[in-house]
Amino acid sequence: MEGRTREAAAEAAVVFTGAVKDYGTVRAVDGLGLRLDRGTSVALLGPNGAGKSTTIAMLLGLVPPDAGTVRVLGTTPQRAVRDGRVGAMPQSGRLIGGVTVRELLGFVLRSYAAKARGRAVPPLAETMEIAHITDLAGRRADRLSGGQAQRVRFAIAVAGAPELLVLDEPTTGLDIEARRELWASVRSYAELGRTILFSTHYLEEADDYADRIVVIDRGRVIADGTSEAIKRRVPGRTVGFDLDGPMTVLDGLPGVVGSEVRGGRVRLHTTDSDATVLALAEAGMVRNLEVAGAGLEEAFLALTERKEAVR
Amino acid sequence: MILRYVRLEMVRLLRDPGYLVMSLISPLTMYLVFTSLDITGRSGDAGAVYAMVGMAGFGAVGAVLNNGVSIAEDKPLGWIRQLRLLPLRPSEVVVGRTLCAMAVTLPPIVSICLAGGLVNDVALGAGQWAAVFVLLWAGIAPMAVLGIGLGYLLSAQQAQMAALTCYMGLSLLGGLWVPIARFPEWLQHIAAATPINRYGELSWRVTDGHAPTITGAALLLAWAAVFAVFAAYCYRRSARTP
Repeated sequence: MEGRTREAAAEAAVVFTGAVKDYGTVRAVDGLGLRLDRGTSVALLGPNGAGKSTTIAMLLGLVPPDAGTVRVLGTTPQRAVRDGRVGAMPQSGRLIGGVTVRELLGFVLRSYAAKARGRAVPPLAETMEIAHITDLAGRRADRLSGGQAQRVRFAIAVAGAPELLVLDEPTTGLDIEARRELWASVRSYAELGRTILFSTHYLEEADDYADRIVVIDRGRVIADGTSEAIKRRVPGRTVGFDLDGPMTVLDGLPGVVGSEVRGGRVRLHTTDSDATVLALAEAGMVRNLEVAGAGLEEAFLALTERKEAVR
Repeated sequence: MILRYVRLEMVRLLRDPGYLVMSLISPLTMYLVFTSLDITGRSGDAGAVYAMVGMAGFGAVGAVLNNGVSIAEDKPLGWIRQLRLLPLRPSEVVVGRTLCAMAVTLPPIVSICLAGGLVNDVALGAGQWAAVFVLLWAGIAPMAVLGIGLGYLLSAQQAQMAALTCYMGLSLLGGLWVPIARFPEWLQHIAAATPINRYGELSWRVTDGHAPTITGAALLLAWAAVFAVFAAYCYRRSARTP
């Protein structure tokens, strides 16, 4: 028994090994390798069409890989889902009509309870509290605002207290307030030590809520690490100053890999900000000089663009 | 868990009873009109009995195909996918949905049998009534499974078209409106092979005072098997699309 517990603890939450998925002639996922440890919050980032949704669909057992393997909680994705060990909030989707939030969640809860096999499934009131929907219990599920509906969908995903929670772009289309409330719920759930994988378009969400960020592009992992580590992968900094002189001084500045001029303000992307600033100083171009580190957004753009340039 | 799922779906249905009422009104109206027009070509009571079985069956076919359309309508909501992500076996969901389909056939079957007995003075023995009722209800299962397959395979709009085609086409061809004996001979052979004709035949044999034929029952079972394979294929296929 003790051996099994230790084995279970060491077992990763998710392991992709060389996973491939083609849709016709389009390779959506191209030899993806990924291992998620238990108890972590991981953000999946990538431009549109990068293969995020296909990756999540394989993880949830909705789509079988054409090659390679996907293991979830030490078993197949289908098995893990069917045993009630996974909770998911798919990307798009609305709630069905004709039932109240309580009836809908009650059904979901009992479906998990029926497969619980000794695992604790929290009572309905607790799930509604985590998702901040206690006041919506008696409302018709199809007559909620976007933010409220999304919180109910989140409640469906966590109703069975799953070991792995998967959220596919959970905040797309929500206003700032609704996004904040949803993330408050996700954070409460993460604090219980569960594994969470979410994909998002909003980089600051990855920055704020993930222990680890996995960037995928063209169906492969192109960067993987903490937010800080990803930012460091892009050595770039931005040097900004007011331009008073001919544009030609910008030519041949050391370290500069790109520039933007907007309303007399120049922003230079540089891989060696010290050399760039020194050269600018020699040319006397230091009005309102500002040097900034690259944010996650710059890092993300640089990573995904570079990949494109290589191809 | 199947029953809880059936309960949830039935609650949804009963709170939006519009199409439940529709599935009842049109065959009931047609029954009363057809019997006063004597369209079956059988005189008097025999015609009323024939049309009672035909229109009850017609109502049941409409109800189960509508259930298929409602599956297709659930797809854009993401409900079908959400069900796949719950700890339910696919069989629980599909069997549950089939039971829902079977449940919604009860209003048309019951109301038309009542109309037959009360309005058109259809006189059957108690055993015959019971047998007709059970056969009308249980015999619709193959069509229910076909409806479920169409619902999983097609978009809501396509499913509606397919359901309407099957509803009208197979009902007419199967002899629910007009006995196939009045068809040209070549068409009779085709009609006799269709699932709906064999479904109706189960009950027509009973109202004529015979037992259902083995051939008919076997053919209906064969259709059930074909439709079950089709539905299983459609269910698996639908996972790949949202």
